[in-house]
Amino acid sequence: MAVGSGGFVGKVLRVDLSTGKITTEDTHERYAGLLGGAGIGYRVLWDEVPAGTGPFDAANKLVFATGPLVGTSVPCNGRATVTTLFPTCWPKPLVGSGHMGGHFAAKLKYAGYDALIVEGQADKPVWLMIRDARVEIRDARHLWGSGIRRATLEISQELGPDCVVAAIGQAGENLAPMGMVINSVSHSAGGVGGIMGGKNLKAVAVQGSGAVRIAGDKAAWEALVKFHLSILGANNQHVVPSFPTPQAEYYNPASRWVGQPGKRWGAAKPPLELPGNIHDPNSIAFRTNSAVYFLGDEAWKYTVRGNGCTACPIRCHTMLKMPSVTAKYGIPDMGQNTCVALMFGRTFFKQLANKKNNETAMEACMVGMHLADDLGLWSNYGQLQRDLRKLYEGGYLKARLGSKEYASIPWDKYDSADPAFLLDLLPRIANRQGELGEVLSRGTGAIFDHWSIPESEWAGDHATTYWKMGHPKHHANEDDGQCGVIINTQYNRDAQCHSHTNFVRNGLPLEVQKKLAAAIWGSPDALDAPGDYTPANVPKARRAKWSLLRKELHDALGVCNWMGPWAASPLRERGYTGDDSLESKFLSLATGQTMDREELDRVAERIFTLHRALTIRDMGRVDMRAAHDIVPPWVFEDPSGKAALTKGTIRMDPADIAKAMDYFYEVMGWDKATGAPSQARYAELGLAEVGEALAAAKLTPEAAK
Amino acid sequence: MDTTRGISSEWIKRAAKATGWEGELTRRGFLKLSACALTSLAFLDLGEAYGENAPLVILDNAQGVILADPTRCVACGRCELACTEYNDGRAQPSLARIKIARAVNFGPSGPTGGEAMHGDWGDGLVIQGVCRQCPHPVPCATACPQNAIVADPQTGARVVDAAQCLGCRLCQQACPWGMIAFDEKAGVAAKCTLCKGKPKCVEACPAAALRYVPWRDLTRDGSPTRPTLSVVPPETAKACLDCHVTAGAKATK
Repeated sequence: MAVGSGGFVGKVLRVDLSTGKITTEDTHERYAGLLGGAGIGYRVLWDEVPAGTGPFDAANKLVFATGPLVGTSVPCNGRATVTTLFPTCWPKPLVGSGHMGGHFAAKLKYAGYDALIVEGQADKPVWLMIRDARVEIRDARHLWGSGIRRATLEISQELGPDCVVAAIGQAGENLAPMGMVINSVSHSAGGVGGIMGGKNLKAVAVQGSGAVRIAGDKAAWEALVKFHLSILGANNQHVVPSFPTPQAEYYNPASRWVGQPGKRWGAAKPPLELPGNIHDPNSIAFRTNSAVYFLGDEAWKYTVRGNGCTACPIRCHTMLKMPSVTAKYGIPDMGQNTCVALMFGRTFFKQLANKKNNETAMEACMVGMHLADDLGLWSNYGQLQRDLRKLYEGGYLKARLGSKEYASIPWDKYDSADPAFLLDLLPRIANRQGELGEVLSRGTGAIFDHWSIPESEWAGDHATTYWKMGHPKHHANEDDGQCGVIINTQYNRDAQCHSHTNFVRNGLPLEVQKKLAAAIWGSPDALDAPGDYTPANVPKARRAKWSLLRKELHDALGVCNWMGPWAASPLRERGYTGDDSLESKFLSLATGQTMDREELDRVAERIFTLHRALTIRDMGRVDMRAAHDIVPPWVFEDPSGKAALTKGTIRMDPADIAKAMDYFYEVMGWDKATGAPSQARYAELGLAEVGEALAAAKLTPEAAK
Repeated sequence: MDTTRGISSEWIKRAAKATGWEGELTRRGFLKLSACALTSLAFLDLGEAYGENAPLVILDNAQGVILADPTRCVACGRCELACTEYNDGRAQPSLARIKIARAVNFGPSGPTGGEAMHGDWGDGLVIQGVCRQCPHPVPCATACPQNAIVADPQTGARVVDAAQCLGCRLCQQACPWGMIAFDEKAGVAAKCTLCKGKPKCVEACPAAALRYVPWRDLTRDGSPTRPTLSVVPPETAKACLDCHVTAGAKATK
């Protein structure tokens, strides 16, 4: 893309903490063809971080990348992708990304940078100050040891109230692989906090006064934004409400569109009654209430308002006020978060894990999110909680933990589901205190290593939802049969892909979904209803590929894959179609250079393939199918013994999944035996030098023979 | 018909009425509205007829104003982006004529900590900054040595005439509400124009936190967000005498 075009702001900032050197490079010159997000991250790791580097080595790099749509009014942008050697990936750290929303990404763009590369290691704690063109490495010794809230406040006092601070807490400072970085109260990128800690980087704070230019016609841009708003649903692009209403043909109780007219933001002062027209563009923010969806209807009365990322009308980070927690647990009465991080506290407890409309469960959530987002402790998509439960309930801790340490832990509180237990447990983990704190701070892989527990004890247990490589499933066969399974084999952490689930769980009746599917993936058989799966086929593999590429594309553009793609809409008059070309239309108008859907999907495939190449390089082996693309045994079992691929079970069949993987490698143009791209395939995607390097290392299917 | 400098007394009365100062001025008997003062009266459209160099003193009240409800604001900033993208073709909150970004984190009083702190890190309340379209004397317009802040003919919004603006920033200093933006690229001040009566920000809010309503005087509500530097260029000050008399010259009661 030409210099001076819109969307991109044109520069990538590079900060070497070892030397203090601060430089910029031209986004287009260096990263053309990779847009942004993990595209830039993978490129930096490929070019600059040699195989064999450890995640906490000074040679590892940390790439915070936005995308060309970040900072604009494109609905649901505001995402930053943080790419590095992912420390919780087990048994060997490989490339991975954490993703955060909030206001960090947009500020970085307004400051004039499409991405920030952090390298080296400071010799004392520092924070990075970015104020437009002025970038300084500042002393953070006074902040070291403090939580994220305190650090954010003090940095904001120094830089100004409108800056955005992305900081680590004690977990990151202690180089915990389970550390995360947080910006804007609750927006976290998991796994990368310890990498910052390893670099002695407490925080990155950004203040930006510049612009993201829209190169195309203003009126066309405005019309496209309005069109996009018209096809938005609620969180996860659920396009039908969860309640019956004359305003919608369909409803689905499982939908995240819970904002029924008449419900109230009960903790707003004064409370706010949700308005009557659910389709009104000026009411989109009322559709989603994550607290109500996850914690139950009772959460309405604690709701202050919706919150979320820059420019997103969905507001999936629900802000709650629960006065009882201050007196009981000594924490602030305000809390906000979404999804798994919202449930962070509750899910540790057997009695509360799935409990809705329960005051203690909600209090546990308040305590959990307060501590997690201050200590900067990640949950690994709830695996931390499931790990503790299995370790405790399975008797592993009693058998393995020293008796003195075991006795020091208030298990009585745990047994009685007292949220106060978290006040003891979570700082233990963040501070890596004792054997339990140390092991849990390193992630699931450490449990296997440290206590010599075979991985199979987790992978064979449906209740752990453990998938592979130290990470759990993330929208796998419980949502989307073979498509979900394929997607969950591809990454080095839990699959952060939502393209597929956002479609199958959108709430529309199956026959409508199938009609839409036929138009996009060439066959109504591209999807089944969750838990009623038919055998693998090529259209499903095609949809899996589409899902993965759109995930990478969204990260690269800086839009939210928790909302996109927009393949369906709430609009009856459109037959519930969305727009599968929306991303390319936005990018074309923003940059002023037309790029159609196919071209853009090719860019996404290039990015995704670069991830594959990095994985192959750093694993030092080409047999991805056997060594990497693993499906855990629990997927092939059913607790009540139901046969695979029958109605009412998510149990999959090994031979059918093998076939599904065949189809997937085929649609990717990869070698079926190894699941790896050939040198020619890399070249076709504009990654010739990557293919050459891998061939030279005998890491392409043909070279390995 | 009575005229003053060629303007009918009827128009002058209407102009005075529009400022809300009518009673005050007539009772004291020193209504001396001049043609110069009237150049900015939008409905008269006299700017061309009575000379461009006349100092501006009185601006007719705007027809509408944007009301913001902090309890509804969800801190997405779509209003700021609609303001700059749809009007200027660029996404730039610092240029927005509605102000959210500055209040999102900690509220208007900043990162003070404590119970009174607003915003995402405080009690959640996001107190939007909106232009009050102040009545006479309009602080930004009065402070402008170029008379570059004038009433929009359609809505009466106080708008910056970019061709006249020198970029001295005195209007920024003069606004008690901190609502004047500055376009660093063009080197001129920018402020809310009410978008020809269809404010883009209002349309863009996903939580109906903004409304466009008939004008009323909001300058008496709440406290100004910042201390102001009151600067009145001498030419403008002189024009004040067209309507007001110095204390010594006032008629005794």
